Amino acid sequence: MERDIREDIAWAKINTDVLKSLESPRRLYWVIVFVAMLIFSIGIGCEVYQYNVGLGVANMDNPHVWGLYIATFIFWIGMSHSGTLLSAILLLMGADWRKPIYRFAEAMTTFSLMTAGLFVMVHLGRLWQVYYALPYPNERGVWPNFQSPLLWDAMAIFTYLSSSVLFLFIGMIPDLAICRDHLHPGWRKKLYTLLSLGWEGTDRQWRNFRVAYVTVACFLIPLAVSVHSIVASDFAMSQQPGWHVTSFPPYFVAGALYSGCAAIITLFIILRYVFKFEDYMTLPILKKIARLTFAIAMVWTYLNAVEFASVWYSHDQASKDVLIQKATGPYAPFWWMMNFCGSVVPLVLAFKRFQTSIPVLFAVSLLLNLGMWLERWMIVAPTFSHGYYPWTWDHDQWPSLVQWGMVFGSFGWFTLLFMVFCKVFPSVSMYEVKEMVYHRKMALENKTEGAH
Amino acid sequence: MMENNFNRRDFLKVMGWGGAAVTLTGCGFTSVEDGREVVTSYVEPPEYALPGISVYFNSTCAQCDAGCSVSGRVREGRVLKLEGNTASAINRGKMCGLGQAGVQAHYNPDRVREPLLKGKAISWEEALGLIDGKLKAVKGEEVAFLTGGLSGHVKVMFKNYMDTLGGANHFVYEAASPAVVRASNKKAYGVSMPRLHLDKAKVVMSFGADFLGSWVSPVHFSQQYAAFRKGNRPEGRGVLVQIEPKMTLTGANADRWIPANPGSEGVLALGIINALGKAGLSIPADIAGLTRDYGVDRVSKETGVSVEQINKLAGLLKERTPSLVLVGDAAEGYLHGSQNAAAIALLNRVLGNIGKTIDAPANVPFPQVAPTVGSRSAVKALNDKLTSGKVQVLFTYAANPVFSAPSVLKFKDNLQKVPFKVALAHYMDETAVEADLVLPLDSALEDWGTGVPEYLAEGAQLNIQQPLMEKLYSGTRGVGDILLALLKQRRANEYKGYEDFYSYLRHSLVSIKGVLGGSGKDDDIFWAETLSQGLVKLSGNNGSLAAKANAAGLNLPAPAAEDSNYPLRLIPSVTASMRDGRNANQPWLQESPDPLTTIVWDSWVEIHPKTAARLGIVEGDIIEVASRNGAIKAQAYLFPGIHPDAISIPLGYGHEAMGRYAKNVGANAFAILDQAVDKETGELAMNETRVKLSKVGKRIIVTKEEGPAGGMQMGKKIAVRVASDKVNLSEEI
Amino acid sequence: MSVTNLLENWSTFRHFHPVDDKPHEQYKWAMAINLDACTGCNACSVACYAENNIAVVGKDKYAHGQTMHWMRIERYWDEDGREFPDQGAQFLPMMCQQCEAAPCETVCPVGATNHTADGLNSQVYNRCIGSRYCSANCPFKVRYFNWYDYPDQEKVWPEPLPQQLNPDLTVRTKGVMEKCTFCVQRLTAAKSDARNEGRSVRDGDVQTACQQACPAGAISFGNLVDPQSKIAKQWEKQRVELAAHDEQEKDKEGSELRGYRIFEELRAYPSVMYLERVRESAV
Repeated sequence: MERDIREDIAWAKINTDVLKSLESPRRLYWVIVFVAMLIFSIGIGCEVYQYNVGLGVANMDNPHVWGLYIATFIFWIGMSHSGTLLSAILLLMGADWRKPIYRFAEAMTTFSLMTAGLFVMVHLGRLWQVYYALPYPNERGVWPNFQSPLLWDAMAIFTYLSSSVLFLFIGMIPDLAICRDHLHPGWRKKLYTLLSLGWEGTDRQWRNFRVAYVTVACFLIPLAVSVHSIVASDFAMSQQPGWHVTSFPPYFVAGALYSGCAAIITLFIILRYVFKFEDYMTLPILKKIARLTFAIAMVWTYLNAVEFASVWYSHDQASKDVLIQKATGPYAPFWWMMNFCGSVVPLVLAFKRFQTSIPVLFAVSLLLNLGMWLERWMIVAPTFSHGYYPWTWDHDQWPSLVQWGMVFGSFGWFTLLFMVFCKVFPSVSMYEVKEMVYHRKMALENKTEGAH
Repeated sequence: MMENNFNRRDFLKVMGWGGAAVTLTGCGFTSVEDGREVVTSYVEPPEYALPGISVYFNSTCAQCDAGCSVSGRVREGRVLKLEGNTASAINRGKMCGLGQAGVQAHYNPDRVREPLLKGKAISWEEALGLIDGKLKAVKGEEVAFLTGGLSGHVKVMFKNYMDTLGGANHFVYEAASPAVVRASNKKAYGVSMPRLHLDKAKVVMSFGADFLGSWVSPVHFSQQYAAFRKGNRPEGRGVLVQIEPKMTLTGANADRWIPANPGSEGVLALGIINALGKAGLSIPADIAGLTRDYGVDRVSKETGVSVEQINKLAGLLKERTPSLVLVGDAAEGYLHGSQNAAAIALLNRVLGNIGKTIDAPANVPFPQVAPTVGSRSAVKALNDKLTSGKVQVLFTYAANPVFSAPSVLKFKDNLQKVPFKVALAHYMDETAVEADLVLPLDSALEDWGTGVPEYLAEGAQLNIQQPLMEKLYSGTRGVGDILLALLKQRRANEYKGYEDFYSYLRHSLVSIKGVLGGSGKDDDIFWAETLSQGLVKLSGNNGSLAAKANAAGLNLPAPAAEDSNYPLRLIPSVTASMRDGRNANQPWLQESPDPLTTIVWDSWVEIHPKTAARLGIVEGDIIEVASRNGAIKAQAYLFPGIHPDAISIPLGYGHEAMGRYAKNVGANAFAILDQAVDKETGELAMNETRVKLSKVGKRIIVTKEEGPAGGMQMGKKIAVRVASDKVNLSEEI
Repeated sequence: MSVTNLLENWSTFRHFHPVDDKPHEQYKWAMAINLDACTGCNACSVACYAENNIAVVGKDKYAHGQTMHWMRIERYWDEDGREFPDQGAQFLPMMCQQCEAAPCETVCPVGATNHTADGLNSQVYNRCIGSRYCSANCPFKVRYFNWYDYPDQEKVWPEPLPQQLNPDLTVRTKGVMEKCTFCVQRLTAAKSDARNEGRSVRDGDVQTACQQACPAGAISFGNLVDPQSKIAKQWEKQRVELAAHDEQEKDKEGSELRGYRIFEELRAYPSVMYLERVRESAV
């Protein structure tokens, strides 16, 4: 098995290795960016078409008014939880293995939130009136409806997004200073100069930095939990069978962390390969993430089972019908696939030899995210096609290519943002890796000294 | 005001509801002619045309022949909606969906807008001159008229014109009409359309009369039905029993729907009489003699109705009197349709309903405006005449025989033998397309006219039809105006006093105002009041019924033999919206789901699930329905409300012309009907066509309102039903 | 704009529900539909199209479930497994039930659907942004979304059909939700007329389009606050309470009443009472 981060890496080498990722891109980079843009433009095309013609082109219908947009929205919100988990929660818990990987996880948080926001937009029938949902001062005293979970949603997401950006930025300040000091003059140097806020690495700066960073982290954790609880409220606060479930908020949060972790594994492997970060993104770290993912997978499985059980043992026939419908109706293949991906596939992670097997982990992480995406779809769709009112049951509703196109396009958009980020900002935290190496070295020295 | 423009072309002399005389400029500020908008200042608005205020004008619905009075809401010179006129005894302010769609007949984008000679627009002068020229070259008996049912002053004009031509042939054709029932009523009661009192009956037993959907006067009967169902009337809540092989809207509302074997309705009626006799009701000797052989066991075998059920029905009828026995489409559409109807009429006599729930209608004091009703045999008669090549000029009006005549008649081909065909039409329907000259008509909401409904609810009444707004197209003319112009060609002197049909109409009514309850009134006031009311009650003595229903000559045939090549019976259904297809181009009606199957925008084949299972047919299979005279393709719909040996296809769909909403929607069931006729009346026996089904190997998803739950409530309390003994209706409000 | 202002506006805007401490004052529009009289003929539905400028969507969109019929007639069969439906079918006109505690109202993010002082569940087209949350939360699924710009669709209103459109209400654009309004344009006109004469709207002054058309007179409509109105008497007779905290009288053992509301157990307090269909027990 490959070694953990070596204690003898020179700090200068860390700088060089990481800053190398900011240098002129290789061809593969451009290929990825190009493909991402292509995929994104498919999404754009679909939206332009839908905007002009009307939402009917998404092939939703009157009882079945929500489709993949909402499902994918929840999916991306879920993805965003990984960054917070790795940075904030593990920061407070003092888990130092987070250090080489938290930066890109945080970037992922920000970008998936930005992607999720898009889905709220494209979902609207009248996108051009979206500002009605903002509580802006107006002469007529017309306000948004503060009772609506959808409004809470908008607010929670906006708060979470701004806090995440802040957190990402604060954590990057020392690294930005390094970039500023090492890069040739050009627009980027100006950018780093501006963003590093005059960082010189003085004691006072470090002290203030630590306080600020931990404060934002503390702020971010409840926020992250609340965001997905609120997204869950979109459903739990409604009166529909299959949605009106008390356990939805923790269930959603668990699902979010779950898909976030899985996404980290995927991106970890890609970055490690693309930027040759083998020295920093080491297999023991991967192993730890894999174990974390496994743990969360089990939590999710448990909550999933709780949901089924509470429906099954309740007297709510309508909810029961929806559940039966999920398992046996036209959505059954997807529903079983979701259960397979969400609860069976992660069992692979219980085996030590798979915990560090890159190909297996890569495949597993993709399957887990597929499962999580299906989970969201299976929460949204079957309730529409099997609600309270049998007359309006509708099984023939199938998302049109426009919907699929936008779901697909969102991955292009996310990739694009991520690729740009990786080239402009250091995707591995240099100062914290140095810290890590230093701590290891000290520990080793202490051990050696103790042996005397 | 604007005296120089004061003629009917630009202004409509109509009356406000308030009773004062009104002059309303139809649509002063918009002209739809070639899409041009004319903005007129409302600084000096025409009297009674207040911007933003609706006014109501009374007229008569022309969507079917029931003659409901409507009240059109008019705002800024546009008619927006039709409501029922509460003054009419027929519909008392109520409307059916078909009637509501009348505005779409008026604003229909596919109306013919100018006279067309073989598809080319010509002027009215040319068109009328052409007719004059053609008619001068032929003899009177070489001219034929095919019209729908006529009444009122338009009928008078038609008759006058035919008289001037000398010996012209008039064929009155209605593709879906209770023609056999009329004849049978005439024999049994002495009148062809007696007054029915559902509201006084304790039991209504209807042998296939879809009186809630499409039979005779549905809006009126629906109101009677509602009264009949009231639990707090002295008679208690009425019980409806419907006997028919294909469940109609009325069948769907029955307490008991009985799918007796098609054609065995008469046998069932005699069986019930027999059972009534057994139960102790005294049966007149002639009838008792006839029904002696119709014991319950035999009847049960022939009709497929259980012995228990027959006895139950007899018990119910005996116990609850008065009752009312109706006979309708499902019973009359056989070779022995008249016999069926006669046998069923005996029930009314046995039960003593005649004079109680079946009453004499009011006499129409002016026979010249009384309705001339159509029959299905008329098109056969015309066709025979066409075949012989004796018709040189043919006028068609309010009838579409090319669409609705069975294809076995080859009506369309025979039509080619007529050198000059004139269609008075609203749309380029199938018949108009074949015509040499098409004369575009004003819509019913633009035209003047009068009408007397065939079914008179209370006293006789003359319905007034008046324009509710200015004409949409300057190129159309009212049918009365066209006939007047034609009459002037021949009898210029007689008609020179009438500038137009309006003045003719006004003159006709004003000159008899004494009889119309306007004696002593000023002409203008009388006329204004008449228009304001939208109808004139005609005083006339009530006729009387001659209870002649008897067993003489009644001889019901043995059950029809199985036909192994064509094992199923086709029962074409007349639906409330589509009827014979004349309104198929109104989008509201196309999108209004059929009440029973909930299918929209297409025709369908109703098949009992048992039969379908035997044939391996599932919902949405495109099946070919083949009779001896043709085949059509339509989607299958599995329908429990149909006899397993029968299938049903709605009429009125499958237009090849007419307009964007009607064309190529569904299949035309008229086309495959066999030309089998009722032996006594010669009427086309609608239910005598035998068919076979075959799948064409294509399956579609049926476009319908009903979801995949298929009309099941899945244990939820949504549409709840309660048995009559579990509920106290007597104190309800 | 101060926060106080915001909160004040918002709390008055929310507080139109007829909770016990704040009953309806002048008007509470309600309906009763007698299923024993209803024949399922569809006249009400077509009248609704005529009155309310409802788009005819055509076959393709109908097949996709994108119909706009505010009033739909549902046809149910017995579920007792008999070979023939020999007790007929059951018809149920279904439209917005104008719930007093409407599930749709609380969830709209922009407050486009809210309660009026006279107990209507109103839909403000101008305000709607098309999130469709209201429809998602409607137990009856009676809300219809404008999936397309219907006025622009080729066969929806070709000239001269637009001349028929009722100028008292709008033609809805794409992306907004719509539903039965109890013909609010007629109610507004009637209230305005009554106010001009210094009185309340009398029973019978105003009819909804469906009620007016219904040939069987199965639909009654009126002001529940007015004890003399037919509708109030009907509700009273059937012991159906608008905001019943316990079960309705009808649901009790041995009740001979037939008034009920659909999904009473969801506590949405619909303003439409149905009267059960009666079927003769003697045949």
